[in-house]
Amino acid sequence: MDTELAGRLGSARILSRGVQQAPTLRQGFGLTLVLAIIGAAGRVVIPITVQQAIDHGFTKAGVRVGFVATLGAIASGAIITGTIAQRAAVLRLGRRSEGALYELRVRVISHIHLLSIADHSEERRGALVSRVTADVETLAEFFSWGGLAWLLDGALMLLVAAVMLSYDWLLAIIAFAVAMPLAWVLRAVQGHLGAAYDKARTCNAELLGSVTEVVTGAETLRAYHAGAVMAQRSKEVAKERGDAFVRAGTIGAFLFPSGEVFGALTVAAVVGVGVARGTAGGLTAGALVGFVFLTYRFLEPIAEFTEVLDQTQTAVAGLRRLLGILDLPVGPPPPANPRALPEGPLSIQISEVTFSYRTRGETDDDEPVLIGVDAIIPAGQQVALVGSTGSGKTTLGRLLARFADPGGGQIRLGGVPLTHVSNDELRQRLVVVAQEPFLFDDTIAANLGFARPGSSLADLQAAVSALDLDEWLATMPDGLQTGVGERGSQLSAGERQLVALIRASVADPDVLILDEATSSVDALTEVRMAHALERLAEGRTTIAIAHRLSTAMRADRVLVLEHGRLIEDGPHDKLVAAGGRYAELFAAWVSSTSTET
Amino acid sequence: MLGGSSTALPDRGTRSRTNRWRSAARLVRDLVRIHPQPFFIAVGGAAVFALCTVGSSVVLRWVIDHVIDPRLRQGHVALGTVFTGLAFVIAVGIIRASGVVVRRTWAGRAHYRIAETLSGQVIDRLVEQPVTWHQRRPSGDLAARAGVDVDAAVDVLSPLPYATSVVLLVLLSSIWLLIIDLPLGLLAVAVFPLLISINVVYQHRVDKHYTDAQSHLGDLSAAVHESFEGVQVVKAFGAESRETARLSVIAGRLRDARTSAVVLKATFDSVLDAVPALTNVGLLVAGAVRIRSGAITIGELASMIYMFTLLVFPLRLIGFALSALPHSLAGWTRVREVLDEAVEPDPAADLGVAADHHGVSFTHVSYQFEPDRPVLVDITFDVPSRSTVALVGTTGSGKTTLLRLAAGLIGADSGRIAVTPGTTAIVLQEAFLLGASLRENIAFAGQFSDDEIWSAIESCEGRDFVEDLPRGLDTEVGERGVSLSGGQRQRVALARALVRRPALLLLDDTTSALDPATEARVVANLRALLSESTVLIVTSRPSTIALADHVVFLNDSRIEATGTHNELVESNETYRSIMEAFEHDRTTVEPGPI
Repeated sequence: MDTELAGRLGSARILSRGVQQAPTLRQGFGLTLVLAIIGAAGRVVIPITVQQAIDHGFTKAGVRVGFVATLGAIASGAIITGTIAQRAAVLRLGRRSEGALYELRVRVISHIHLLSIADHSEERRGALVSRVTADVETLAEFFSWGGLAWLLDGALMLLVAAVMLSYDWLLAIIAFAVAMPLAWVLRAVQGHLGAAYDKARTCNAELLGSVTEVVTGAETLRAYHAGAVMAQRSKEVAKERGDAFVRAGTIGAFLFPSGEVFGALTVAAVVGVGVARGTAGGLTAGALVGFVFLTYRFLEPIAEFTEVLDQTQTAVAGLRRLLGILDLPVGPPPPANPRALPEGPLSIQISEVTFSYRTRGETDDDEPVLIGVDAIIPAGQQVALVGSTGSGKTTLGRLLARFADPGGGQIRLGGVPLTHVSNDELRQRLVVVAQEPFLFDDTIAANLGFARPGSSLADLQAAVSALDLDEWLATMPDGLQTGVGERGSQLSAGERQLVALIRASVADPDVLILDEATSSVDALTEVRMAHALERLAEGRTTIAIAHRLSTAMRADRVLVLEHGRLIEDGPHDKLVAAGGRYAELFAAWVSSTSTET
Repeated sequence: MLGGSSTALPDRGTRSRTNRWRSAARLVRDLVRIHPQPFFIAVGGAAVFALCTVGSSVVLRWVIDHVIDPRLRQGHVALGTVFTGLAFVIAVGIIRASGVVVRRTWAGRAHYRIAETLSGQVIDRLVEQPVTWHQRRPSGDLAARAGVDVDAAVDVLSPLPYATSVVLLVLLSSIWLLIIDLPLGLLAVAVFPLLISINVVYQHRVDKHYTDAQSHLGDLSAAVHESFEGVQVVKAFGAESRETARLSVIAGRLRDARTSAVVLKATFDSVLDAVPALTNVGLLVAGAVRIRSGAITIGELASMIYMFTLLVFPLRLIGFALSALPHSLAGWTRVREVLDEAVEPDPAADLGVAADHHGVSFTHVSYQFEPDRPVLVDITFDVPSRSTVALVGTTGSGKTTLLRLAAGLIGADSGRIAVTPGTTAIVLQEAFLLGASLRENIAFAGQFSDDEIWSAIESCEGRDFVEDLPRGLDTEVGERGVSLSGGQRQRVALARALVRRPALLLLDDTTSALDPATEARVVANLRALLSESTVLIVTSRPSTIALADHVVFLNDSRIEATGTHNELVESNETYRSIMEAFEHDRTTVEPGPI
């Protein structure tokens, strides 16, 4: 009981925080409520009119047609007024809620963009996308139905109850007493129904996954004669899904009719007691008939309410997840008093840098990824970061680009601590080329222009020429206007790298951080890439996270990382001659790229 | 929407509408035929519901005229009459409810059993069709045919029993209303067509907004996904606020479409609430005249009003049922497209048996994706048994196609391909893993002992990483399990091939994601393991080429040269330049004197 209460209070707090995030919702809500009550009044006009007509129009003395006609005119007026008020209420709620959802969506999108790269891991991407889509949708569904039901049906139930009590308080209480258990029955059925539908939805997702495997793996399945077995597996999943939905459907089949049964019982109880008591309590025939009509008006919302309660819970859960995202601290905080970077090429000072990834409270021992890394890189130097997987070289690259801040120590760019550089200036002066560069599903030109909005086609063309890639661009069917496809899928991996290099060149930064690709590309592209890279690096401070040791050979200086520590630092030749870890890595690499065995 | 072309070509519009009804009827017939029994039980339940709905109005009339009116206006009623009346109220309520339970339960059964059968048929067809058939179709589209399209097609069934009961209800209640009193009945019945048309028009118009909203939501979700996926680029260029602005434009479109739907809904909802209520007022006033003339009783008038109130909700669902129709027809068409298409012949059936001492033989083989786009032209070569051959060539030279031909996954346009008897295993460039355990991924519908599986993994230099996995061979991989790196995925796919001890092993750049040292060990291992087998490797790594006995050099869709690596370097200019490009990295920056 206590936990349930706590849960309710929690829900209330979440709702009020949600309203804070989307203030449009609150605007003019009082008027909307008044309109809804007037609208509900329009919906009890018929029972009241029938009662009035029976009691005062169809008297024993005869039928007073004039009275009934007047009654009809008043009723029509009331119905039309109620209808107009209800329409206005629905419109106001609908407009406000759509506006509020828009505000909320934009706020969440903006916040997610500002989250640190660590919060954007591949595993979490789906979750982030569904915050903006699925979770906001639960709220949208709530507003288009549940919220409306709370507003209109809530008002209706209150009015119906009031009219019943005014006719005959004893009969009203009997009607409530007989109808009330319906709410419990519905809650119980719904508990099972919710679980059954969860299961069905899971099965549905499994079927989709299974069919997708059959299709995407068609070639492998055929090559290994596994088609029949996989089809059988998929069909079993389809059967499970069918079973789950049939079960959920069977439970659901009892939901609506239970209202019917309780309706019949309530009518029987009211008529039975009313008839037994007779006119003693002042009950009239019209009021009793009115009661029969009102009973149905009263039961309808109960059935709807129990479903709405579930939907409300879903919406609150969605809202809770949204607020959870908004509570996540944004990436490296912007500086309070930004300091300008000096003009021209920039040096990098890495002092005692330590870093470990947050593991979100899963374990206490956050293993450090970088430990006391120290290096001074003069402006214009070409540096290669070398080390085996997990040595921390990629992380160091991320810290230099301020995708995250070090746990300890400091990084200075041109003498200014990175934490004091404004994001806009940092991104203009320092550019990162990722290992597997991401391209938007658009033209090459649009992807290049992303680096510097407002670039003309001539600017882009100049950037291509600057890297000696005109010949490559000529192989593209529509030149700069060639579409690259989803994630650049129309281009080869090597070509995506080329586009990323040109994109970096369009930005024209002073510092270049380059995460080299591991996958092999075809020979011609490899040659083009190496050349373009050389051109791009000219005159800029360059940090290459090197997977090919040829890059390290070309660099002015090699930093070798192992288990998060900087263990060797010097030019290629010296390190090879020293016979340490680097010499070892280099020897292995030479033998693997050579045909002489 | 309703004017335009249909007024210009009325004849054609009418015909297409009749066609639509005809195809709808055919759709229902074809679907119901799959599992007729539950469907007709549901329709039976719906009929009971319709009868009892009219019945409840009859009972109310009886109760008012024989119980309420006598007791509360005349002062007396027999106890037996009261109990009879109440028993009727409860009995009709319970039977009506049971009708609903039966309808909903069996309609659900019909719906999902039919969907299950159809999905199964589509899945069977998907695995029966050869790779060439799959290649011509986007995979997302095919997956949809067994999933969402089947669901869309079957969606027409759920509201159908209910719709039948609504039609029955409208008929029965019209008769009942007309029997009670012809003039009043006519007044009430005349409103039915009005309500039905308002519903249909509303559904038609609001569906447009909902469809728009749905497509904006799809756009938003795709754009958000892309923007978050590219977050590194977004951040690298400080484009966070630009991206938010771009996405909020799409979110704004969604809001606008939804708001238009709300406006329409609010208006129609109020009209649909007001029309029956005003009709009831009309019935009451006209009823007063009829009661005065003694044509009807108070009970009869009240039951007419009550009947009319009960009908409002079912009538609203007519529009809803109709709105599912175009959607279902589209889904059904797409499902039939897959089911009606003949199964194409399996190209593997055309593979010949290679002569003794030959692992693979290609004789004048040509292949093209589409006319005038040759991929392979007049390919002739023999691979001696038990040898390892490297296929070398630039991107697009046809290496992968050549492997697929040898595996019998696709068929040649001309020429003859023969392979050694026994198992052929191909490992594709993109490793395909099932969302299943590692063991299932390696056994892949075959029966192998753990020892055999482990030995295959070991040959792929994978023991370390598999042992590090939380549940070893039982670890689930893929979406719901552990995500493996590219190199690990490739090794699992390779283990799948090796565990079968194939007589012919075809590797399509399978080890590209491995570091060169591991790759060299893997190639050496598989050579030792498959000493009796023939191995054909597509590769661009010089260290791997060096391990091959022969090299087949493809250039521009043709075989340019064959021989050992050293022979080709000596004799072929193009080959030499490609090899130099591979080694370019190292040779251009050879360490000079210190």
